[in-house]
Amino acid sequence: MAAIEVDQFVARPVQRVWQALTDPDLLARWLMPNDFKPVVGHQFTFRTEPVPQHGFDGIVHCQVLALDPPQLLRISWRGGTLDTTVTWRLVPEGTGTRLLITHDGFDDTDPAQQAAMKILGGGWQGHLARRMLSVLDDAAYEGGG
Amino acid sequence: MPDADVFDAIASPVRRAILDLLRGGARPVHDVAASFAMTRPAVSQHLKVLRQAGLVTEERVGRERHYRLDARPLRTVVDWAGHYERFWQHHARLLGELLESSE
Repeated sequence: MAAIEVDQFVARPVQRVWQALTDPDLLARWLMPNDFKPVVGHQFTFRTEPVPQHGFDGIVHCQVLALDPPQLLRISWRGGTLDTTVTWRLVPEGTGTRLLITHDGFDDTDPAQQAAMKILGGGWQGHLARRMLSVLDDAAYEGGG
Repeated sequence: MPDADVFDAIASPVRRAILDLLRGGARPVHDVAASFAMTRPAVSQHLKVLRQAGLVTEERVGRERHYRLDARPLRTVVDWAGHYERFWQHHARLLGELLESSE
């Protein structure tokens, strides 16, 4: 199944990144307020602003699914129409850390999620869709706004 | 969430290719059909789906109907699809900034 994958280099050792990921106060500072505990099976929530256009009430319901310090954290991620999984992998790179985030488990039977994954997974977002939207920008330019 | 019609319309590789072709400007059905080695009725059917999704408009030119790309509904699709990717990119950057700004 297609997934969203994001990778970020952090110029700090793996232990520091792991701490930022698993300390609820630190986690709140870069992600969202939460009652996370680094214990497999622990159920918790993230709380943020609702996003009505995505059918999202602002609460993400989560459970710790896997924990392998300091290299892997996987949680369930349920909110709005989503019933998904988020995985963080920490890979040492020089004196820093390569942080790999995978958000997967999008519903293949939901046409909207399916199409969105197709666009992201098939490179459509990066190529065809962007070219299409460039037509829009050209049109806006020609129209003076 | 954007209109389901738009998602259905772009779920088909043929229809995505038709949209790409129409980027070059409005074209009559037979032109589109020739580009894809498809029958006119088959192309007309695809154009109908695209028209219902608001992705193409139809205009009369003499005795012909020309089809023109209207990419506007795609914006919402791209926004929706890119939402979670942007979300994680943004927060991963915040994590990096948080750690790198402290010793």
